[in-house]
Amino acid sequence: MTGRGRRNLFAAALVSVPLAWTIVFMFAPYAIMFTYSFYTKKFPMFVPDFQFGNYLMLFQDIQYRQVFVRTFKIASIVSLVALLLAYPVAYCLVFKVHSRKIRMAIYMAIIVPLWASYLLRAYTWKTILGSQGVLNSFLVWSGILAEPTPLFLYNQFSMVITLVHIFVPFMFMPIFTALEKIPRSLLEASKDLGVGRLGTFLKVTLPLSVPGIVAGITFTFCLSFGDFIAPFLVGGPDGFMIANIVQSQFGTALNWPLGSAISIAILAIVLLVITLSDRLERAGRLDLG
Amino acid sequence: MRSLAHKIRIFGTVALAFGVGAAMVPTALKAQEGQLSLLVWEGYADPSFVKDFEAESGCKVQATYVGSNDDFAPKLAAGGGVYDLLSVSSDAAEVLVRAGFVEPIDISKVPEWNNIYEAFRNVKSINVDGQVWAVPFTWGANPFLYRTDKITTEPDSIAVMWDPQYKGKIGMWDDKSMLYNAARMLGIADPFNMTDEELEKVKAKLIEQKPLVRKYWSTAGEVINLFASDEVWISYTWGGLMLNELGKQNIPVKEFTPKEGADGWNDNWMIAKGSPNMDCAMKYINYMMSAKGQCGVSTVTGYSATNPVAAKTCMSPEEFKAKHQDDIDFVGKLHMWQAPPRIEEYTNAWNAVKAAP
Repeated sequence: MTGRGRRNLFAAALVSVPLAWTIVFMFAPYAIMFTYSFYTKKFPMFVPDFQFGNYLMLFQDIQYRQVFVRTFKIASIVSLVALLLAYPVAYCLVFKVHSRKIRMAIYMAIIVPLWASYLLRAYTWKTILGSQGVLNSFLVWSGILAEPTPLFLYNQFSMVITLVHIFVPFMFMPIFTALEKIPRSLLEASKDLGVGRLGTFLKVTLPLSVPGIVAGITFTFCLSFGDFIAPFLVGGPDGFMIANIVQSQFGTALNWPLGSAISIAILAIVLLVITLSDRLERAGRLDLG
Repeated sequence: MRSLAHKIRIFGTVALAFGVGAAMVPTALKAQEGQLSLLVWEGYADPSFVKDFEAESGCKVQATYVGSNDDFAPKLAAGGGVYDLLSVSSDAAEVLVRAGFVEPIDISKVPEWNNIYEAFRNVKSINVDGQVWAVPFTWGANPFLYRTDKITTEPDSIAVMWDPQYKGKIGMWDDKSMLYNAARMLGIADPFNMTDEELEKVKAKLIEQKPLVRKYWSTAGEVINLFASDEVWISYTWGGLMLNELGKQNIPVKEFTPKEGADGWNDNWMIAKGSPNMDCAMKYINYMMSAKGQCGVSTVTGYSATNPVAAKTCMSPEEFKAKHQDDIDFVGKLHMWQAPPRIEEYTNAWNAVKAAP
């Protein structure tokens, strides 16, 4: 074999690993799920078929629309709150903290909760927000409330708080990276040309950080859109999200075909969000010339 | 930012795949010989009686818990060879037989078989196609529990679960049997054979209740916690198991049976298809049918025994009477769970209740 032939073989071998991974762990499962979504539910399990009833069901039965809309709402609020929290922090860290050491220390402090178990963090919110939780105990002790309020836990409020806490690092990281990449010379040029602080922020910093914002929103939105633990642990009777429906269709309802159809619908929505964010990011780039 | 967008695309898709996939991954390890893997309700593998079994039989016991009778079939459908032994209520037994998830039972190897109450031995859903598929080992009623320090007059009707006075302090089980209870309250004659119209009425009633509900709970541990942490003052429960545990924590709770009647049930041992632990599984079943097992479960859960001959040797006369062991006709007064012929419509109705705003 020639040297070139060997190199090609080596390159092919190198590519085949991630390719095989994607096929086995992504395309094959999705293909199976896609196939199931056309099957028909029949006692005791389901039978192979080719029909669109499962997809039609998503439009006919109001419960699926209700839950899709709720999930969309929760994921949007979570993304927005996470953005409002993460952006100022990332901004201060990049532009106001001048010591590299301190900056990295704070960066790590924000990222490190990611290594703690998701469940543990969700349970912690339960002990904070509960009727006898830390927050209520404090409010009653300090005299702000006469008696504990049940308003903190088992509703959409507690779900949003928990999801924001869990996913905010995914918002913070890309924004931090985007801000850090902005050449300081641009900011100085703006200042030299007589633009004020707010003007510089609105005309230079913010537009240049849009790709980070878009990336952050995409992460946070997609992750909270598919979440089923927060509704289960801290959500109330009005907290059922779309992934809970998938879970119950694959679980108690024993309706894998419908569960598959809903999963495919979720996948379509997530892919749509990612495509849109990609477009937005590209448009942002054009604006800058 | 090209590479970042790319990373996100992959990350988002993979995260979603994992999120959905995680719901389907069986939590227990693959069944091994000598390692008996149980899929049971809480209280059926308590160390208080499992320890002796392990010492006597040489079989190790490991348990995974279910939160609903509808959890058995999906867990078995996700792949065989994980669980050996299941504790299934009679109404959920037939679907497992029909789906081919369980082995028939050779009753000649169950010495206590003839001592079991006939009413449970003869249940149709465990006698399918001329074979026996399950060994009944315990039974009971599902009462409501309430905090006596918060609710001072004993409620007498299921209607209390719709009392706005207890808004935000009401617990309901995340299970289709909530439909039966609402139906009984509405005076529907046969909650297991509801017409579409009746089912709609029940659904509307349960949706109307939603603003009052604190949590739809799904495990015994969860509802015990809800009572103990003052989140819930009144809830549908599984009775004794929760009463015992809350008593240990000094939480003042009492059970009441509504005038509309209580759900009744009996639980059975079933052997999962292809279990590599047939020997250990039969040993566990027989241990559970002996005095040690019958009273072991009854002490932990407060449920009644199905083998009165064994129970008589280990219960005090008072306990024997209190648990209705001398009066099996009591079972006739309960609304014993049945599999609704239109189970899909029922499951769908309960899901619609949970999905509603």
